[in-house]
Amino acid sequence: MTQQKLGLLFMAPVAAFLLIGFVSPILIVGWYSLMEPRSFDLNTVFTIANYRSAFSDGYGPPFFWSLSFAAVTTLTCLVLAWPTAKLLHRFAGRGAAVITALIAVPIFISESVRLFGMSLFLMPGGGILAGSVRALFDLSIGSVLNTKLAVYLGLVYVHFPFVLFPALLGVALIPQDRIDAARDLGASRWQVLREVELPLALPGLVIGALLTFVLCIGANAEAAILGGQTVTVLTRAVEQRFSYAQDWPMGAALTMLVIAMTAVFVFPALSRLDLNRLIRR
Amino acid sequence: MTRTAEPAQRQTALSLIGLSRHFGTFKALDSISLEIEEGEFFTIVGPSGSGKTTMLRILAGLDQPTQGSLLLRGTDITRMPANQRPTAMVFQSLALFDHRSVGENVEFALKMRGMPKPERREQAFELLDLVHLGRDYYNRAVTQCSGGERQRVALARALASDPEILFFDEPLSALDYRLRKTLEVELRELQRRTGRTFVYITHSLEEAMVMSDRIGIMREGKLVQIGTPAEIYGQPKDRFVARFMGEVNIFEVSDHRLVDFEASVSTVKDGFLIVRPEMLHPADAEDPGLHFEATIAEVFRLGSRVQLHLETVAGLLVSEQPASCQLKPNDAVRFGFDPDQTHSVPE
Repeated sequence: MTQQKLGLLFMAPVAAFLLIGFVSPILIVGWYSLMEPRSFDLNTVFTIANYRSAFSDGYGPPFFWSLSFAAVTTLTCLVLAWPTAKLLHRFAGRGAAVITALIAVPIFISESVRLFGMSLFLMPGGGILAGSVRALFDLSIGSVLNTKLAVYLGLVYVHFPFVLFPALLGVALIPQDRIDAARDLGASRWQVLREVELPLALPGLVIGALLTFVLCIGANAEAAILGGQTVTVLTRAVEQRFSYAQDWPMGAALTMLVIAMTAVFVFPALSRLDLNRLIRR
Repeated sequence: MTRTAEPAQRQTALSLIGLSRHFGTFKALDSISLEIEEGEFFTIVGPSGSGKTTMLRILAGLDQPTQGSLLLRGTDITRMPANQRPTAMVFQSLALFDHRSVGENVEFALKMRGMPKPERREQAFELLDLVHLGRDYYNRAVTQCSGGERQRVALARALASDPEILFFDEPLSALDYRLRKTLEVELRELQRRTGRTFVYITHSLEEAMVMSDRIGIMREGKLVQIGTPAEIYGQPKDRFVARFMGEVNIFEVSDHRLVDFEASVSTVKDGFLIVRPEMLHPADAEDPGLHFEATIAEVFRLGSRVQLHLETVAGLLVSEQPASCQLKPNDAVRFGFDPDQTHSVPE
């Protein structure tokens, strides 16, 4: 009994913090989303008008683009991270640390700075890529800057480490003898991957995929810096409601939809994860 | 290394020709040549680090030899990848797929070949019966199985691919004594019944003696001696093998003189006499052979027999007598053995 009380006591600071910093803002935003459009009060009449216009007033494209970018980026990062993680794991202790550091260090630099760097690199005419190609080969090339492709490249570039490191953790969960056993029992390399490696590394891959997917849904800077005006992503749409349009209830309704959508993806995936297994190993 | 004295009654299943495996300058395997016969239970025994596992991994195709070749019924399979070899291995760790059920583990090899599910399941049922688990285990999670059950699952999984040769890498080492004994007998029985070739690795002499048709003793990457259990126990090639095969008293002989006893030996000029504990017994004056004074230092009752530690002019010696032996510590007794009836080794 005392142990239980002690546990509650230790839990109290975190619980208070989450209540004040996490639960209450969501409640306030949720409340706002049910107020009349363009009102700034929390005591007007309850209405679902905001949600209705979320589905009818042209908010489809931002949802579509954010979801598509998130899905494609997650998939790309997974495909890139798997062989990288396998290699890093195999050469652990033999130069793998240097490569890991090279991938990890940029995380400590502000995302906007990195994206502006990428923008300089991609710039047409005198950009680093186009300029170098012209100087070296006397060739004029176009640029993908201010296209959806640039947004996609930026998303992959920024989020790759978020998949790689959990994937590395996942790869470390595969004991070599299981791979040997599968080979011995007649499995081809492809069958080993499908039947043994991927299922065993799944916890790491799921965590990485979730992180990336959720971060991509909320990503804004890539579209703003690399995409020009070609695409309006979800976060941008929400931000516009709150600032430029001064329609807080509408912004709140969109926010609640994003949260609900994220939850739909996150909770089923998390419930399939055995976090204990990851930590104990 | 190969047996040339006997006519070849059985076909050779596996031929190792000068197999070596080097890790940098370390020779894990140093030019191993060996022929394993069809339907034979061949056990490789050796201390840890002697190269047993490296050898088995090369036989299974999980590692490549630095030199030498490997023939399966005369066909060179040295470079054949593991998944194409008609062999299967039971790993020391068992290497069961914990994310799959017992049934799916057993069926794995069949699934890899593209056998349809109903057929696979039928075969898995048969295999589960064969290893005394029963089909009730089919849907059980591997993680819920006990050590002995996991052992049987691993065996059934290896048998599923219908391998021509089965490899075992110390699979019983993690089990308790009784279970190990039971499984030793079952494995031997299974091998007899199926007539398959088994290549078994262990560091346990007892396991090797109980199960094997022939034993190969390994030391520092080399095969030191190959022979039947009786041959290896009775006629070890050198002191290393003699010591490895159980308790032993070793006496040096130099120019027909037994150094420790100041006695003469007619049959051996230089070398070492190998005297097993059961050959050292309390002696009467009429008994032939060498007699000497001994004081009993310790008495260990081992159930069916008694082990005595004796203090003698030759230092501490070990003798084993029937359980009826009534000697107690500090008793002074004359002990003896017949040097002319004793096996000797040159080194």
